[in-house]
Amino acid sequence: MEYEVIVGLEVHAELSTATKIYCSCKNSFGSEVNSNCCPICTGMPGTLPSLNKKVVEYAVKMGHALNCKINNVCKMDRKNYFYPDLPKAYQISQFDIPLCENGYVDIILDESGATKRIGVTRIHIEEDAGKLLHDDSFAGSLVDFNRCGVPLIEIVSEPDMRGSKEAKAYLDSIKAILQYIDISDCKMQEGSIRCDINVSVRPVGSDVFGTRVEMKNVNTFSGAVRAIEYEAKRQIEVIENGGTISQETRRWDDLQGQNFLLRSKEDAHDYRYFPEPDLLTIHVPEEEVDAIKKSIPELPNAKILRYMHDYKLPHYDSNLLAENMEKSAFFEQCIEFNKVQPKNISNWILGDISRIFNEKNISFADTKITAKNLVDMIEMVEKSEISNTGAKTVLEEIMFNDISARQVVEEKGLAQISDNSALEALVKEVLASNEKAVNDYKNGKTNVVGFLVGQCMRASKGKGNPAILKEIVVSMIESM
Amino acid sequence: MQIDIKHIAKLSRLKIEDEKLNKFETEMQNIIGMVEKLPSLEDKLSGVDVNNTMELREDVVQPSLKRDEILKNAPQTQAGCVVVPKTVE
Amino acid sequence: MELYRLTASELSEKIKNKECSSVEATQAIFDRIEKTEDKVNAYISLSKESALKKAQEIDEKIASGETLSDLAGIPVGIKDNIVTKDMLTTCASKMLYNFVPPYNATVMDKLEKCGIVVVGKLNMDEFAMGSSTENSYYKKTKNPNDLTRVPGGSSGGSAAAVSAGEAFLTLGSDTGGSIRQPASYCGVIGLKPTYGSVSRYGLVAFASSLDQIGPIGRSVKDVAMLYSEICGRDDKDATTAVREYPNFAKNLNGSVKGMTIGIPKEYFGDGVDAKVKESVMDAVKVLENAGATVKHISLPSTDYALSAYYIISSAEASSNLARFDGVKYGYRAENYESLTDMYERTRSEGFGDEVKRRIMLGTFVLSSGYYDAYYKRAKLLQQQISAEFAQAFSECDLIITPTAPTSAFKLGENIDDPLKMYASDICTVTVNIAGLPAVSVPCGNDDNGMPIGMQMIGPKFSEQKLLDTAFSYEQLMGGSIVKIAEL
Repeated sequence: MEYEVIVGLEVHAELSTATKIYCSCKNSFGSEVNSNCCPICTGMPGTLPSLNKKVVEYAVKMGHALNCKINNVCKMDRKNYFYPDLPKAYQISQFDIPLCENGYVDIILDESGATKRIGVTRIHIEEDAGKLLHDDSFAGSLVDFNRCGVPLIEIVSEPDMRGSKEAKAYLDSIKAILQYIDISDCKMQEGSIRCDINVSVRPVGSDVFGTRVEMKNVNTFSGAVRAIEYEAKRQIEVIENGGTISQETRRWDDLQGQNFLLRSKEDAHDYRYFPEPDLLTIHVPEEEVDAIKKSIPELPNAKILRYMHDYKLPHYDSNLLAENMEKSAFFEQCIEFNKVQPKNISNWILGDISRIFNEKNISFADTKITAKNLVDMIEMVEKSEISNTGAKTVLEEIMFNDISARQVVEEKGLAQISDNSALEALVKEVLASNEKAVNDYKNGKTNVVGFLVGQCMRASKGKGNPAILKEIVVSMIESM
Repeated sequence: MQIDIKHIAKLSRLKIEDEKLNKFETEMQNIIGMVEKLPSLEDKLSGVDVNNTMELREDVVQPSLKRDEILKNAPQTQAGCVVVPKTVE
Repeated sequence: MELYRLTASELSEKIKNKECSSVEATQAIFDRIEKTEDKVNAYISLSKESALKKAQEIDEKIASGETLSDLAGIPVGIKDNIVTKDMLTTCASKMLYNFVPPYNATVMDKLEKCGIVVVGKLNMDEFAMGSSTENSYYKKTKNPNDLTRVPGGSSGGSAAAVSAGEAFLTLGSDTGGSIRQPASYCGVIGLKPTYGSVSRYGLVAFASSLDQIGPIGRSVKDVAMLYSEICGRDDKDATTAVREYPNFAKNLNGSVKGMTIGIPKEYFGDGVDAKVKESVMDAVKVLENAGATVKHISLPSTDYALSAYYIISSAEASSNLARFDGVKYGYRAENYESLTDMYERTRSEGFGDEVKRRIMLGTFVLSSGYYDAYYKRAKLLQQQISAEFAQAFSECDLIITPTAPTSAFKLGENIDDPLKMYASDICTVTVNIAGLPAVSVPCGNDDNGMPIGMQMIGPKFSEQKLLDTAFSYEQLMGGSIVKIAEL
């Protein structure tokens, strides 16, 4: 039987505020253990939370980005459970009135730009827990409270995804949006974005959901893909063998590539939610909600589709550009000049410029490149005034010096030689010293022409126009 | 109303000695008996009270406490951390 | 007259006028404690050394001509659920037998700035749960007026210390009557402020939505003086109101002319001692004779208030006390086999029975399947009670009731019957449920000579009017209504 795999996701993202959610301790990763702590975030008796304004603002921002209804009047609730990484023994979260709800995100399914709308049930704010450190040499566990009170948003999706590929596209979209609106670092290796996954399967054509299983401890997106595929396969096997799926929570172990039962439905926690009495009603005035909405930039998926449609860029290019705010902004500055092919701009940004960024571990801010300079350079290439090789030299110069593209071409003598008489003399010399290749060509090995043109380019110090050189080479050999 | 005192104790992370179970159960039942007399009122609670809103805190860092101070009341510490029995989850 | 017999305001004048020093007053208090504390057991811990040092500092400041607060140099006792930096804070529980906080409650920061002298930490019911102070892990405080009787609770130590002359003023906390009921039992004055007027930061939480810190003293002016210094918005407590407060002590005005006093019939029912009713109505008569008008009113939901109170307070307590788990501070069981075992043993060994009872009640009413039947219904009743008070205050300025249905009962009398014990809060819980201010003022004695208290309740933030009325009664009764217990 064919099965359909149904996925719903709960994404937890740490917000990049300066302070924690309920106290003024620094919100930072990688500090010495228990050094970003105070009586409030370590749950000492009598201490009280005071909610960080920025956390509310950031969550509303995400709500707008995901087309949610904003509950500008809402509250916090306590979720009670005992665990050593939760010093108050309750997490201050949101239960029945989340800050944002009923939204959606359009994910891009394939390279044609086909999209699918994934429902976002809710976004709520809450605090992160501390970290438990284990060491085999030691009988107990150690508790580091630094992460206690780091602000989180939890984004809960509808079970709208079918299979791991859609789940991955959803996760990528959420991550790109978080980065775009600049509210989370999304550093997977630091655990600043994590997810819980709900998976169920059903026979294709069925319209009732199967029993869902929740998987915890998924810390990477690629891990999410593996976890979904593993769990779907497990469930299908159970069903095929005549078994039934029970509602339970399982723990994903990415190293072993399998999951393990954490608790069954009977052992499910009774969190005893109730309204947090230490905090009053949250009220974000309508004007602020609107102002936050206005601050949202065009989001990555919309941008990708626009690049594909307006500039005829392939999905691959659009995606890479849109993924990075700086690159897409620079791309659009170049487009503004309306002088060169969008695809050529994209090629240079995603090609050599990105390569240099990676090699030197820098970004636009560390360079002197301007859109005008790049466009001028590309224009010269398009008009054959310089060669591609010459352009690379120009790029290196305009990236790191206060100099115009044209100046570089002049100063370095990079203008391409298109004057036939000058090139003919040069070709004559090259052919004379490559007699073997000339004979090969004559004997039918016409592909040596590339080699000969290359030799000519070298002789011209890169300044020869390769197209013209090729014409001359061919006509000279054939007339010999 | 029968109260599963053992279940409630477990949820509360309390161990009630067997000889005290009955006493607690009776007392709890009496208390529940009292509170069950509450009238059922029409549910007019929206869950939030717009007339009782709070001021939010500005996102400005204040110094944290020294680690020694944070840990000085902990029953067991090691390597700058609080020690607990090994956790499994 | 011996120094310890002065009211705080009298002492304040003397210190300012250099008629006596803070060191002398502090020494007088410790001498008195030396003499009477064995009988009263008001304190869990004393801080004589730091108190005398602080008194010395204040005296030096006065000598150098600095202008100081009215409270400067006054020896004050602090209930042991208010967090004091570097000073043992136990909540009268084994659970916090060794807890020395690295931070201060906001009220302590404020009072230290005023230059008060902290005498020590006062006994109470464990985690403020109780009405007799018999639930303390450490000791049983006695009522200074009759050592065979309870001082009330949970701020029993705070009321007893004031009554015994072991402090000029004390701080207590009130969740369902824990300042007013012991003040009534001990024959002193206690103010439970409007919810949100005093910061709860550093008050070890029992029921967050009901708890409030307040003063206990021997004169209305003393209570007003201390309240003026502790009230105010605190950014560390989001539930504190954003507003300005006057100096209540300086503003005291002793006229009740034209004032309408509401007398709710539900507070004078069968459960209330005849003598208590009589004393309270006598006191009302005094105010009436001074120009107040009496209006008989009804607050029909009062009968259900106790139930709503126990549901809400226990629910919050079950969550607030979950942090005492042996991990970060306080008691940890000695032997355990696993994490869960450590939690269970620590909490079972560290908490007393009353605390366990309330934690379990709270856990039950919040647990899956019961929330709507209990917690939600209690919250609805809370709204109803608030609405009834609001209605009442549209036709009267304040309401007078007995503070407690009886005078102080005997030690051990109610200890085995939680429901009977809970009933002693019947007149006070409504005030917490509605977040209102109320003051308990002594208004006579019963046939055993035990003090009786009347409770004056006002609308939110009407402390000035409440204190004015109490002050007026005090003046009408000859200027002093509190007697120091002879011990």
